[in-house]
Amino acid sequence: MVKQDTHLPQKAWITERMSPTLEQNQSELVDCMLDQINQMAENLKRLKKHDFRLAIHKMEIDRIRYIISSYLRVRLEKIERYAHYLLQKEAGITDESMANLTPQEVTYAKDYASNLESHFQTLVLQHVPENLRGFDPTKMSVKPNLDSYIFLRVKEETQGVLIDDSGEGRDEEVDLEEGSQHLMRYKPISHLVQSGAVTLI
Amino acid sequence: MQFHQIIMDATEIEFLAEKAPITIVPNFTQEKLYLISGDVGPFTAGIPMEVPMWLGMNLRQRGKCRLVIPDWMDAEKLAEKKEEESQSKVFTEMPCEHYLVVAQLILSTAPEDIPNSQQVKTLVKDIWDLRISKLRSSVAEFIQSEGTHAKLDRLTLLEINSIRPFLPHSFDQLHRLSKAANSSNLSQTQDY
Repeated sequence: MVKQDTHLPQKAWITERMSPTLEQNQSELVDCMLDQINQMAENLKRLKKHDFRLAIHKMEIDRIRYIISSYLRVRLEKIERYAHYLLQKEAGITDESMANLTPQEVTYAKDYASNLESHFQTLVLQHVPENLRGFDPTKMSVKPNLDSYIFLRVKEETQGVLIDDSGEGRDEEVDLEEGSQHLMRYKPISHLVQSGAVTLI
Repeated sequence: MQFHQIIMDATEIEFLAEKAPITIVPNFTQEKLYLISGDVGPFTAGIPMEVPMWLGMNLRQRGKCRLVIPDWMDAEKLAEKKEEESQSKVFTEMPCEHYLVVAQLILSTAPEDIPNSQQVKTLVKDIWDLRISKLRSSVAEFIQSEGTHAKLDRLTLLEINSIRPFLPHSFDQLHRLSKAANSSNLSQTQDY
């Protein structure tokens, strides 16, 4: 990874933090940064106790590690919150490159969902009368609110973005100028987030 | 039903701001530092150079450099900015995206490096207060106008963060309410 690309983990982190739904996983980026950190840590072991140079490298490592941990943590929070919905969505995807969750995240989601179910079974369901023992995960699944309002900054000018209003037929179109900042619903611009034309802030 | 709120902590914004460059004058000489995020240096005593803010602050704290105050952090310029901001109905362009964070960092680490530091501190705070109060009154207008989208050019990240999660969440609720109102209207028109 080229040194100029080191703003990408930060961008992925902010996007994931600010988005109401789970964004595409950036596992390559994460792995690459972890590699770089580990390599740097190895190199530092070989350095003599040069007090402040060591401290500076370590500070940088801590900063990068913070971004990656926070990124992974927010993804896990969303996976736990929307476990059933995400698993259903992933099951419908056949092309591997379109997958949103990493294989480890899929395993985590499945384990979490089944743990939750067995928790309810042991805690409550097996103690209630037979006819109330049904457990329907689809009734319990929470979907991310794609209508959530988010702040964004425009990187590439985009004309005529359709922000349709709630079924009143009041179709509104907005022109997004480069460098402008907006507050609007996530759904109409989610494709622009993915293409990089806008960034969440 | 638990609802989830998207928030960002002020310390995290400070973290982001710390990546911005600052000019320092080191008092030591050292070859290049090959950091993961880019090379820094070489350091030559007495020669100004750019480093990321987090590094500059750390070096300053260890007494290994002097900070070169950014151009905009000058008492006179800030007084002009404050005047401009109070005269303008809209938000003016700030000379630095992270003006409050940078000012606060430098004032707490090295106030001696800033000429008229007390004045600078007061002026930056005044500008912040002006902008935030403008923001508060325009938020009230936003919500009343029942708009579906708002434009916030020239607002800085910390200022935007001050209205989280209240403003986006209010818009969410308004949207929900208007959606419910519209769908009940539709079902009414379908009744005979």
